[in-house]
Amino acid sequence: MFCLSELEDTVRVPPSDLNLPLEVAIKKALQKLFLDKVLSIGLCVSIYGIKSIEGGFVLPGDGAATYKVVFRIVVFRPFVGEVIAAKFKESDSNGLRLTLGFFEDVYVPAPLIPTPNRCEPDPYNRNQMRWVWKYGDDEFIIDDSCQQIKFRVENISYPPVPTERAEDAKPFAPMVVTGTIDDDGLGPVSWWEACAPISDDED
Amino acid sequence: MKNIIVKANAGALTNFEVLDLLNSRGASKDTTRVIASETVSRSEYKVYDYLMETAASTQTRDSVTKFSDKCKGFKLAKAEILNIINLRPSSDVELTPILEKPDEREIDIEGILALVQELLPPLPTVEAHKENEQEETEDGEQPNMETSV
Repeated sequence: MFCLSELEDTVRVPPSDLNLPLEVAIKKALQKLFLDKVLSIGLCVSIYGIKSIEGGFVLPGDGAATYKVVFRIVVFRPFVGEVIAAKFKESDSNGLRLTLGFFEDVYVPAPLIPTPNRCEPDPYNRNQMRWVWKYGDDEFIIDDSCQQIKFRVENISYPPVPTERAEDAKPFAPMVVTGTIDDDGLGPVSWWEACAPISDDED
Repeated sequence: MKNIIVKANAGALTNFEVLDLLNSRGASKDTTRVIASETVSRSEYKVYDYLMETAASTQTRDSVTKFSDKCKGFKLAKAEILNIINLRPSSDVELTPILEKPDEREIDIEGILALVQELLPPLPTVEAHKENEQEETEDGEQPNMETSV
């Protein structure tokens, strides 16, 4: 799910931070620039460490010091085929939306929900549609009572920033993970609890 | 836009390693969040909260290293070993979606599950989940988000 990436960038330390130890000031500037932002390599989750700092020149007309920094960050970038546990966020007629807390744009489109299934208006929530899987004689509902839903990553895409958008469009998602729950062991964890695990003493 | 990426992939990290990193910065489960927020930002806390509910929260560096060494005998891909450590499957049906084409490769599923059982600590207890379920509001917010600042 996570990996390290090495980056090199020019970082500007504002004058108000120049009294801090250099590494702290640079880390602060890096966090502001990269933390919780999506790059072409994924979502930056944390600054791992600084490898080297060069420079410290003050450019004319600017009170800040500019450094060239080589550093490593922890990036959230799942690989295709990875199985991840997530929570239910919402669902509509296109499919499900799952969340990991720190990342909320995991979508399971309708074709990747196990068939046969049906979509019905949610009796508890006016605006949502609810998905129900029909297996034999049983029906399994997918909604927020499912504690954990496991999905397998099918695809990660980075849609380009839209230039124009409708007023009520969903907030733009710079990174979208598409997942499937149509396989053994995937989907809400409660569906598979009946399958005997190797006996643990935990409950 | 200048290219600032030196190495896109400088090494994969298990969930445990990321959790360990956040722990070493001072992240913790209780209200001392306010003090630690000097070193751990809100968005990093979201990652911490997610990881604390997964197998990573009960793992140790020792168990993870031992496990991945012993896995070498099972002909698994690195990505699969990583996935197994992150999810800690305890049954056949939990392990098979992780593996690619297990039937064609003659993977020793029983052997892998036995190794998981032996070396990786069990998953965190589900009591916290049940608590969340009762208090869960319509938009699915977890109650412990309220204590973070």
